Amino acid sequence: MDNLLGASREALLLLVSGDPSLWTIVGISFSVSLKAILLTAPVALVIAFLLAHTRFLGRRALITLFQTLLAFPAVVVGLTLYLLLSRSGPFGDLRLLFTQIAMVIGQMVLCFPILVAMGHAAIQAADRRAWETAITLGARPARAMLTLMHEVRFGLVAAVIAGFGRIIAEVGCSLMVGGNILNHTRNITTAIALETTKGQFAEGIALGLVLLVLALLLNFALMLLQGKGVMHS
Amino acid sequence: MKPEPILQFRGLRKFLANRWLLDISELSISAGQCMILSGDNGVGKTTLLKIMAGLEPPDAGEVSYDGKVLPLRTAPQQYRDNIVYLHQSPYLFDCSVIDNVAYGLRRRRMPRAAVQAKVAEVLEWAGLEHLGKRNAKYLSGGEKQRVALARARVLAPKVLLLDEPIASMDYKSRERTYVLIERLKKEGMSVVITSHELSAVLPLADVHMYLRDGKLHDERQDNTAAQMSWLISSENRHND
Repeated sequence: MDNLLGASREALLLLVSGDPSLWTIVGISFSVSLKAILLTAPVALVIAFLLAHTRFLGRRALITLFQTLLAFPAVVVGLTLYLLLSRSGPFGDLRLLFTQIAMVIGQMVLCFPILVAMGHAAIQAADRRAWETAITLGARPARAMLTLMHEVRFGLVAAVIAGFGRIIAEVGCSLMVGGNILNHTRNITTAIALETTKGQFAEGIALGLVLLVLALLLNFALMLLQGKGVMHS
Repeated sequence: MKPEPILQFRGLRKFLANRWLLDISELSISAGQCMILSGDNGVGKTTLLKIMAGLEPPDAGEVSYDGKVLPLRTAPQQYRDNIVYLHQSPYLFDCSVIDNVAYGLRRRRMPRAAVQAKVAEVLEWAGLEHLGKRNAKYLSGGEKQRVALARARVLAPKVLLLDEPIASMDYKSRERTYVLIERLKKEGMSVVITSHELSAVLPLADVHMYLRDGKLHDERQDNTAAQMSWLISSENRHND
């Protein structure tokens, strides 16, 4: 217990003192995850819209597939990407393994089904009259889609927040395709794993605290948005 | 002389829920004409309006707009800008009344100053100037209906399709909405109104059609005692 308290005190000091190596790790985490979510969200939400608003063969199978992929283990995504990006793999020539780009790709794969499944649920629940009203007032389909998305924006932002929460906290994929290289691909979760194995608990706890605060903030934002969504429905 | 129809459907058919919901030999909307469309619940009035608005595809039929026969599949894209459909319970976007009214004008890429002027004018027309900045989601049913009418009127469509515009409204809101529809008619807009409450809307009618078993009947040409009694009993059933 004393050990834990002492490490926690040390962790807080590290955070408050602005320890550069610690904040570099935090920066890499946010940079990679923000890029992944920003690159994935537009495509995933358009697919979510198409799944909710169009009828085509295999639509239900696709929805089921995305829902199943929600539970896809990060480490399996990491393993698959590792095999694809490693020197002997089909994309080995791109030399992306152990780079932040590989981490971004891995996290994009991880958050894609979350964004599609949650986005689909939000758009599916939208009032059909919103779409019809936009069309009858002269909106072209692409514009009507944006209008509809604006009407369910709270649900869509909730999907983006949930996706971001999932990727910033994942460890398996980042570790496998990033390689946990200091100042390059070491992010919060891979650093925690490493520091713990080295017995350096203070840094691990400090980084854990950053993740906890982030999780708290994301959940708070989600709660606010869900409240707004109810008020506006 | 019979006025030229703006919008005309021939051999219009729609298959829904394992039956031919609509099987209409001819339907014409003329300029400045107000058509009342009546019929029992579930008879297909809303579906017919949505087909006319290009929001639902028919299964068969021929469409003419402004005297020109159009391919069934692409017809709505060609006339949609001139036909506006209003739901029974109008949908207003989650933004201010001004932004709702401006929505269609912005889609037509009208300059900002012109949009502002037109929105101000139509809000005054509908007596809604005081609500301009309010979020449209929080208005009463009657206010929403008037905002929706203003939002349609500002686009100056040739045909306005109103699905049960005065249903579930208190007396005052009903009266205000009625006055606005009457003004639209006087301004020369063609209006098609579906309604259960015939006595409330019939004074507006130039043409009264009723829909039964998928067929459209012209009340003037088909005014037998039996049909009149059916119409009255139909209204009584809805009012009960």
